[in-house]
Amino acid sequence: MNRGWFFYLMPFLLLAASLLQSTAASRIQVRGVKPDLVLLLVVVGTLIYGSREGLLWAFIGGLALDLFSGGPLGSSSLALMAATLVAGVGYSSLSRYHLLVPLSAIALGTLVYGVSYVGILLALEALANFPALAEVPLDLVRPDLDLPLWSTLFGPTVQYIVLPALFYNTVLMLLITPVLNRVPERQE
Amino acid sequence: MRNTERRPWSIADFTIRLVLLVLAALLLLALQLTGQLRGVQSTITQITSPAQLGATSVTGSAAELVSFVLQLGTLSQRAAELEQINGSLQSELFRLTEVERENGELRRFLQFAQERPGLALRGAQIVGRVIGQESTNFLDFILLDLGQIHGIEVGMPVVTDQGLVGRVSQVNNSVCKVLLITDVNSAINALLQQSRLPGVIRGTARGDLIMDFIPQGVKFEVGEIVLTSGLGGRFPANIPIGRVIEIRQRDIDIVQQAVVQPLVDFNSLELAAVVTNFNPSEEIHDLLLNEPPPPDIGGASLLTGTLSLTGTVPLTATTPVTVAGAEGTP
Repeated sequence: MNRGWFFYLMPFLLLAASLLQSTAASRIQVRGVKPDLVLLLVVVGTLIYGSREGLLWAFIGGLALDLFSGGPLGSSSLALMAATLVAGVGYSSLSRYHLLVPLSAIALGTLVYGVSYVGILLALEALANFPALAEVPLDLVRPDLDLPLWSTLFGPTVQYIVLPALFYNTVLMLLITPVLNRVPERQE
Repeated sequence: MRNTERRPWSIADFTIRLVLLVLAALLLLALQLTGQLRGVQSTITQITSPAQLGATSVTGSAAELVSFVLQLGTLSQRAAELEQINGSLQSELFRLTEVERENGELRRFLQFAQERPGLALRGAQIVGRVIGQESTNFLDFILLDLGQIHGIEVGMPVVTDQGLVGRVSQVNNSVCKVLLITDVNSAINALLQQSRLPGVIRGTARGDLIMDFIPQGVKFEVGEIVLTSGLGGRFPANIPIGRVIEIRQRDIDIVQQAVVQPLVDFNSLELAAVVTNFNPSEEIHDLLLNEPPPPDIGGASLLTGTLSLTGTVPLTATTPVTVAGAEGTP
């Protein structure tokens, strides 16, 4: 697979992934958890091209995702950029052909993406009463605990949404690793 | 083509890009929170909504297809299970149909036996049919699963609820051979039920019956039932044999003939009963010869009068039916 072609295909792939994320992801959800297709693609792009290019993909992908899904515009971009920073940590020092590298990248990326996104939503809610947390299953919150809102929402969200998504995304990365490995490394 | 790695990795370059993109994202967030992007978002939504609708439709169809493919294995297994259930149900239905048919047949046998309390009947299944194999090559036999151990003897009449079948011609330990009334070697003294005319029923090679020696000059009708007369002592009296379907009468002959259709359907014969309390006797025959001629069929009256026995009709191994005060089993 040619690195250049893949580079130029990325914007279209990100658009398609965003579209699928807002339409088809719910059809392949497992126990209520959807895969993060855009995140997966951004992490793949970061593993191939590094964090510098990954940031751009994260911004574009996040923008498309927010446009298609109706989320606060820019929030997904910020969360994806945070994930890109984590996923691209070992870009220059670790070989992505080692199986643990893409798996760790997507696992950490999902964790950071999820935590960042929830954090952004909570911040928006606190700042501007933005009803961004409507999608968070509030029945997971334990009202008996006398804790601040952010802690009562944050914990269950990470436990019941972020961590299962982390597992789901890692499994998907495991499946696409053979394709990823066909893209050659950067020639220094 | 653009060289995507044309520049070496630079922290400053990276930081600038990161800051710019983060600022852009924050700006977008701020603009949206202040409602500045409503118009833009509305326009973008109008542009993208058809694509989303199309994607939803396509992915929905694809999901259904995948679901169908995933269910194929299950469907195949389910179909196999249903086929198995269907097979067992069909088998059960067949068995119950057979039981129903057998039940009906046994009921008719029961009625037949109840109408003739003087006959001790022992039921049997037809276990085989033997046509030919004998010297004449036209002999028509059936085999019954009754033999000497069941008290069967040569000469005993065999009947069904429809009428006379024949008589036992050979017996071994557990099976007996029955010479059918349609066999060409069979001859039975008979009587027309309504006109009370006597005659002799004999078999033909075609499977029909001919009633011969009907006195000339007396009229009888097509459709009359032919019964055993009891004359000759080989069969009890008043067992239905057949129905007259054709009359052969010529003035130059000294007797008339009638073509008789057997009441028993020999092609579908499955159950039969042997009259075990009837001993064919030449002495009786001789005695009967001295009796007044029909319609006073004295021989038959004598037989039914003296051989008033009852018995069992274990018609099949699975459905024994006791008839008219059953007494004893094999």
